[in-house]
Order: sequence, then C-alpha cells, then structure tokens
Amino acid sequence: MTDLTLSELAAAIAVRKISALEATDACLERIARLDGRLRAFITLDAEGARARARALDGELAAGRRRGPLHGVPLAYKDLCHVAGLPTSCGTRTRDYFTSQIECTAVARLTAAGAVTLGKLNMTELALGPFGDNPHHGDVGNPWKAGHVSGGSSSGSGAAVAAGLAFGALGSDTGGSIRLPAACCGIVGLKPTYGRVSRAGAMPLSWSLDHLGPMTRSVRDAALMLEIIAGHDPHDATSSAHAVGTPAATLDLPVRDVRLGLPENYYFDGVTPEARAAVEAAARTLAELGARVQTLRLPDPAPLIDVAGVLARSESSAIHARIVRDRPHELGAAVRARLEVGFHVSAHDYLQAGRLRARLTRTFVQEVFAEVDALLTPTIPEPPPALAQVTAPPVDEIVRRMGRFSRLTRPFNALGLPVLALPAGFTADGRPLGLSITGRPFDEATVLRLGQAWEQASDWRARRPPV
Amino acid sequence: MTDQERAAQRQVQSDVAALAGAIERMAGDLALGEEPSNFEAALEAGAPRD
Repeated sequence: MTDLTLSELAAAIAVRKISALEATDACLERIARLDGRLRAFITLDAEGARARARALDGELAAGRRRGPLHGVPLAYKDLCHVAGLPTSCGTRTRDYFTSQIECTAVARLTAAGAVTLGKLNMTELALGPFGDNPHHGDVGNPWKAGHVSGGSSSGSGAAVAAGLAFGALGSDTGGSIRLPAACCGIVGLKPTYGRVSRAGAMPLSWSLDHLGPMTRSVRDAALMLEIIAGHDPHDATSSAHAVGTPAATLDLPVRDVRLGLPENYYFDGVTPEARAAVEAAARTLAELGARVQTLRLPDPAPLIDVAGVLARSESSAIHARIVRDRPHELGAAVRARLEVGFHVSAHDYLQAGRLRARLTRTFVQEVFAEVDALLTPTIPEPPPALAQVTAPPVDEIVRRMGRFSRLTRPFNALGLPVLALPAGFTADGRPLGLSITGRPFDEATVLRLGQAWEQASDWRARRPPV
Repeated sequence: MTDQERAAQRQVQSDVAALAGAIERMAGDLALGEEPSNFEAALEAGAPRD
C-alpha cells in the first residue's frame, strides 16, 4: 500500500477501497521497521494518528469527506508548529520553537483531511545541506546507506522516499527542499516567494524562507500546493496572487514551451553523470515538442553574495539567544555560520535588500523574455558519503556546504518557483537531480514540465532498497 | 583564547569582510528610489498574465 502515491491513496480512500486507518497503520508499520535506520522522525504521534484516522473513516462512512486529502497520512518538518506536538527545529531543546498559531500550511492540509503522523528530522536550525544532526541522529539515505540524505529537510526526503509517509512539508532557505528531494530521489517544490504562508513555522531568514511539498510524484506536489498556497493574514509576505489549479493543467502538452539550458555557472564543476542526466531530460522534453536552447544567464555570483548577507544577518538575529546563551548546544558548523551574522553591518544588510530587488527585476525581465523555464542540475554530484563531507575542520565543512548548495541558493534570492525531481540514477544506485525553474507565480508551467518528464521516464517505478 | 578560537575568529572576520566588499562593489550605482520592497513588486510584475 505504501507504494501508492498520495493522489492514488486519496482516490482509494474516497471510494472506501482502503481505509484511513489501514493507510495509517501501513505507515506506522513501516516506520517501526525502518526508522531505526533512517532516523526520519523526531516525534511520532502513533496514537493521535490512529485516532484521527478512525474518526475520518467514521465521517466518510457517514457521507462526509473533509477534502482532497481525506485520510491521507502526512508528516511535517520539525520546524512546523503542530498543536500538541513539540517543535525542536533539530536542536536538542524539545520546544525550541513555539507559536500562538498552528503552522498555516499544516492547518490547511489538516482541514483537507490529512492525518498527522508526526514531526520529521532536519538539520539543526535548518542550517546545512547534508542531513546530519548531532542530537537526533543523521538521517539515512534510503537509496544508499552512509550517504548524504540532503538537508535541511532530510527527514522529509527520507520519509517520503522510503514510504513512511505519503507526503511531507519541507522548508527551503538555500535549497532545503530541493537538496533532500534530489538526494532521496523524490519530488520537491520550492514555490514562488510569498506563494505559501510561512506563519507558524520557525523562521531562518524572513527574506529567503519558503515552505513547500515533498512527494513521490509531480501530481502529488501539485495537489499539496493547491491546498497550502494562497494569502494568509498571519504572514504579511504571503501573496494574494491567484493560485489557480495547477493539478488540472498537468497533462496539457508541453509543445512550444521554451526551455533554457544555462551556458554559465550551472554546469560548472558538475559531474559528467549529473550533467548527462539533465541533458537527457532536455532531449526528452524536446522530443515532446518543447523548444530547447542554451542561454547565458545574469551572473549568479552577486545573487549569492546578496543572499549570504541577508541569510546570515537574519538568522543571527532570529537565533541570537541560543548562540549567545547556549552556544555549546549547537554543532560547530552551525555556530560558525550564525556567528558571521553578528558582524554584518546594518548598512550592508539594507544595501543587500536593495540589490536583491534590482537583480531579481533584471533576471526576470531578461531571462523570461527568452525562455519560459530553465533546466539545471539540483546537486552538482550524486549524494556523497556523509563521513566524507562532515569530516573536520569546521571551515572546510562550511566550504563543502557552500559547494553542495551552489546550484540552489541563487533561486532563493530570486524567489522563483523551482521543481526538483529525479533525473536518473548512477550505476551504483544514487539519485541524480533535475531542477525546473519558472517565472514568478508560474508553478503551473514547472509542474506541467515535470509531469511530462516524469511520464516519459521510468524513474518513479524505482523503489529504494530499504 | 585558544588557537582554535583565534582561527575561528579570523575566519568570521574574513567572511564578513568578503561579504561587505562584494556589497560595496555592487551598491555604488543604486538609485535613490531602489528599495528592498521592490523585490515583491518584481515578482508580481514578472508573473504570467492571467
């Protein structure tokens, strides 16, 4: 049963072919069997999930269906505030983050009928791309033990890939949805900045934070997006831009969609197999009628500097108390990254905000005059061995972090929607990642392109050998 | 202060100086009317027409 996608399960529950309790128990059985190795969960609410599933089954029997996710078991990154459950944010403090309101995205999924299984492991304070955690254990890569699961939404990536949950929420400040999606061979969507409310989720950097779905299929990501997107009075940055129905347009043809393969930066230093996988996806989409061209993008280096100033300043301000009062509780690399922000001047922070606006305007005007979407690798290499990238010294770990997330960070500064999905596998079974980036608020096009690639390839039929 | 702490401090100073230098180089020709909230306006302006 856990091989079903979220959409397939929701349809089966709706016609009472499968009950919410059966689906929940299937996840709980798998968690009991596999999570000792994967360490995807920080908090499991088995009793709460079973009680909710039983109640939802009763409602369905009485003719009431709450919404499109009625009875579907989901799990949430442990920085989303969920009523009645602790939110550690990957720290050793059980209730590191508290909120007056439940995470809006979680509340919307719950209102649509989802069952909450629990809270998912993550890199400490969402600061790191490898999926390691000194307090809750390193999240295992379901495809290759001992290799990077991707961070910071590492538990979300592993849980979805291994069938412990039918979908998850992740957050993305520099690649934290897309990197674990790529490492764990699943679909992750970083929506446009402002598309999904961040209310009730721990902030890392107000200017760069995004929440989004992590799923086993593109259709599942579209379905979750439709539910969680839209203006929220609790988040001043959430947009009133119309959400539309991206799931309904997924199967429209991609003929004449203009696709760009960047000539600069995005393939520099990328391993041959990671490059070949993206080029193969481009060829497949071209065979389906898309028009593929190469193009030179505005230099991403200024975007990375601007994002660096914003991220470091904001994260240090937000998490100042733990860095000042309890620095010994933080991992060395996390502490080192937060320390920088204390020394960035207000002048530079404000200039970075002004520059970001200009760089974004220029990028959107120039690039989307030429193409409708970009194809790039998500990670520059297949998931490496975890021990190799987390080996000291600390400054070298921080540099490795920067290299591993170099292809994702520019798109947080730009706020553009990016769909990360599998592009293939290495000979030894490690996933390779493809990213599809679109114009602002055009998640429908990136999802449609992702659907076309998913349907034309056979990667979704593969299951991790857990 | 230990050697390790001194090295960490030097690294922080170096990182901050690199970021400040990059921002200074780019910000020289910012116009008076360019403000951070133009970012959200750029996204809205770049959205597909409904």
